[in-house]
Amino acid sequence: MKLLSIQNISKQYTANDAPAVNGVSFECERGEIVALIGGSGSGKTTLLRIIAGLETPDTGEVVLDEKPLNSPSVFVPPEKRDCGLVFQDYALFPNKTVQQNITFGKGAADDPKQVKRLIELAGIGGLEQRFPHEISGGQQQRVALVRALATRPTLLLLDEPLSHLDPELRDSVRTELLKLFRETDTTVLFVSHDIEDAMAMADRMVVMREGAAEQIGTPGEVYDRPVSQHVARLFGKTNFIPAGLLPNAPHSIPSENGTGRVVPVRPHQWRVSDRSPAFSGTVQSVTNRGSHREVTLATEHLALTIHLTEQIVINTGDALTVSCTLPD
Amino acid sequence: MAAYLINIAQHRLRHLKQEIRFKLNAWTISALILGLILFLPMAEVLWHLTSPAENWEHLRDTVLGRYLKGSVILVLGTAVLSVLLGVSTAWLVACCEFPGRKIFEWALILPLAIPTYIAAYAYFDLLDQLTPLLIWVRLNISPEAMTLLSDTMVYPVTIVVLAAVLYPYVYLVARAAFARQSSQCIEAARTLGHGPQSTFWRVALPLARPAIVGGVALVIMETLNDYGAVEHFNVPTFTTGIFRTWLSMGDLQGALRLAACLMALILFLLVLEKWLRFGARFHKSSQADRPFQRYALGQAKAGLAILCCLLPLVIGFVLPLSRLAYWASFNAGKVLDASFLKLTLNSVGVATAAGLATVVLALFLAYTARYFGSRTVGATNRLAILGYAVPGAVIAMGILLIAGQVTRTTGWVLTGSLAALVLAYVIRFLAVAWQPIDSGMERNCAQLNNAARSLGANAARSLFQINVPLLRNALVAAGLFVFVDTIKELPLTLVLRPFDFETLSTRTFDLAKQAQIPESSVPALCIILVSLLPVIWLNRQMRTPEK
Repeated sequence: MKLLSIQNISKQYTANDAPAVNGVSFECERGEIVALIGGSGSGKTTLLRIIAGLETPDTGEVVLDEKPLNSPSVFVPPEKRDCGLVFQDYALFPNKTVQQNITFGKGAADDPKQVKRLIELAGIGGLEQRFPHEISGGQQQRVALVRALATRPTLLLLDEPLSHLDPELRDSVRTELLKLFRETDTTVLFVSHDIEDAMAMADRMVVMREGAAEQIGTPGEVYDRPVSQHVARLFGKTNFIPAGLLPNAPHSIPSENGTGRVVPVRPHQWRVSDRSPAFSGTVQSVTNRGSHREVTLATEHLALTIHLTEQIVINTGDALTVSCTLPD
Repeated sequence: MAAYLINIAQHRLRHLKQEIRFKLNAWTISALILGLILFLPMAEVLWHLTSPAENWEHLRDTVLGRYLKGSVILVLGTAVLSVLLGVSTAWLVACCEFPGRKIFEWALILPLAIPTYIAAYAYFDLLDQLTPLLIWVRLNISPEAMTLLSDTMVYPVTIVVLAAVLYPYVYLVARAAFARQSSQCIEAARTLGHGPQSTFWRVALPLARPAIVGGVALVIMETLNDYGAVEHFNVPTFTTGIFRTWLSMGDLQGALRLAACLMALILFLLVLEKWLRFGARFHKSSQADRPFQRYALGQAKAGLAILCCLLPLVIGFVLPLSRLAYWASFNAGKVLDASFLKLTLNSVGVATAAGLATVVLALFLAYTARYFGSRTVGATNRLAILGYAVPGAVIAMGILLIAGQVTRTTGWVLTGSLAALVLAYVIRFLAVAWQPIDSGMERNCAQLNNAARSLGANAARSLFQINVPLLRNALVAAGLFVFVDTIKELPLTLVLRPFDFETLSTRTFDLAKQAQIPESSVPALCIILVSLLPVIWLNRQMRTPEK
């Protein structure tokens, strides 16, 4: 039995508008870290709020640890669910100290040792008597996390856990979070619009689009075998080459404009080479990106985006021939 | 179109089913029942729109038209004049720079401290000034012309007096709209080469329209609620009609039908307001002003601006207050005695009870709707707070109806009891407390309540540990507002006060009615002094930026 099971969840906020969540189903194993990923309006936060009990779905079932939380006849209110939720804006109680915030949760005050250990793991020792407005954003986030973990939830839900942190902090916080989750053996479901966060932290990801789960898989699967052009584009610029031009490609997807199939090729998968099948054209632009150069190449039928790491001289207007190496 | 409506109906039905299945608990059920109980008196009155009344045909044919005409003229005139005064002063204070601007900024709210009936008593002799003119008309034109003129003249006089103390409702919202919400657009218009006039008409005014409509709505509700001023100047309106039909003619059913007509008129106005705002959100006016480059006025224009701001301030506050203070200085000795102390204590007592009860109820109702995310409780809340739009006289009639039914079924006598009076205040002023509490909760506590729930806290714990401490200021302000409104309230108190129970407002009214205007200035001044408290609070709120 899976720890969390979501079956056919739908939610429509206003009549005559598209539903926010539309028939989503997936499952989480115990101890797994799962990312819900998608653009704004894809329904990922609504889904998270439904699992937390803050919204009522129109249809569908949520089962956590064999206990039904949502079904046509059951609704367990959020305070009775065994889910911890960390809010995007942390939602710390401004009238309570860090310590009071952390021990506010049900059962959190029962085990002072556990609380102390969490505080140390999260590296917020010494801040216990401060008020939320007296500590930094990164510290606030950790307090919110410890507050949720202190109730020892069966499932921890995080809403955009890294969105408020600046890029320098993000990397280290990602590592810290992962360490904390593994050490406390927590099952985590988190929402993110940032593919990098999801790639770095998640065991599996659920890609949401227009309220539906478009693809579910490990980060590697989603990256290497996206099911649609939309999923492929989540990872940045992607070339879509008509499948006929790459007959040996291991993976192809239906084209969005309905004209056959296309092969997604990432910009870094190109090499300057005339190994067949090769593509020749004229360089339209060269942009220095530091670690590589981004080259736009116009071939007879296509405009290719290529990331070149080779140290060769290339200028706009030059002729260039490239070929791609795809994973199996 | 049909499919569109069917979708909405199905959606609503699904929500209702969910609410019934998942959200009914002790909290929501009590909130639903309380909300409906508070709405009941208004519903009762509305119900009498169609109930049989013996003399209705007669009333309808003789006086209804007159009352309707009087009320409509008064409402239109007061609304238009309030907009002229409120919007022009708001524009000057928010967007122009001239000597004294900072003082006018807060001073222009002061007239709000003077209840309409007290303003009327302060100008009690305004109509008499016209007597020489009337005599001249009678002698030189005809007696009929004189009657016509004297009947007509009551309108402009009453309109000026009402607008002079009600325009701050428009001023407050318009100023906030100019200085806060639209300041960026005004700056953009200026950089695009628009002068002050063109900016005002093409950018600032259209942007402020929803806010101004909201302010005008408050002016209209207050105008329709007024009894003391129209009674004093003898203007035929719905409120004077209700009192006359009921107390002088002893026709309760007829008075009820009139009240029901007034209630219908108000519902129409509420719908109109909503429609005129085009769904634009009433902008929150809690942020502090943004720094803003004002139009520097030249000497002549600055002089005009000062005059323009001085005029409403003098007519609406300085003149009435100084006249009252002058009379009071002669009469204080005569009026201040043991009975005066008693009626002051009466006023403070019922106002404290009303303030506390209203805040507790408003907190409970707003919290229950928000915490459980219940749309049904939200809907009954909206019904319960309708009392702010309903004149005191109408609410009083509703309470009497309910009290009569309670006496018939249980034998308890509520009519003329303090409990009925306080209940009436709660209904009339629930919105005054509910509004700041609900918006404070939305702003400060919505996410925190979710956090508390996800941490396993129940509703009571969230309420007392998170919401009440965080909303302390809003709760105190709400209580103060209701306290002051209760002290000012006249028509409802007149109808529902227990026998021999006097308050500051009823004493003011009684003395004025017995042609003892100078004596009435003493309780009137007390009321004005108390009413200055929320004005000062509003003023502070305008200045201090919120965190």
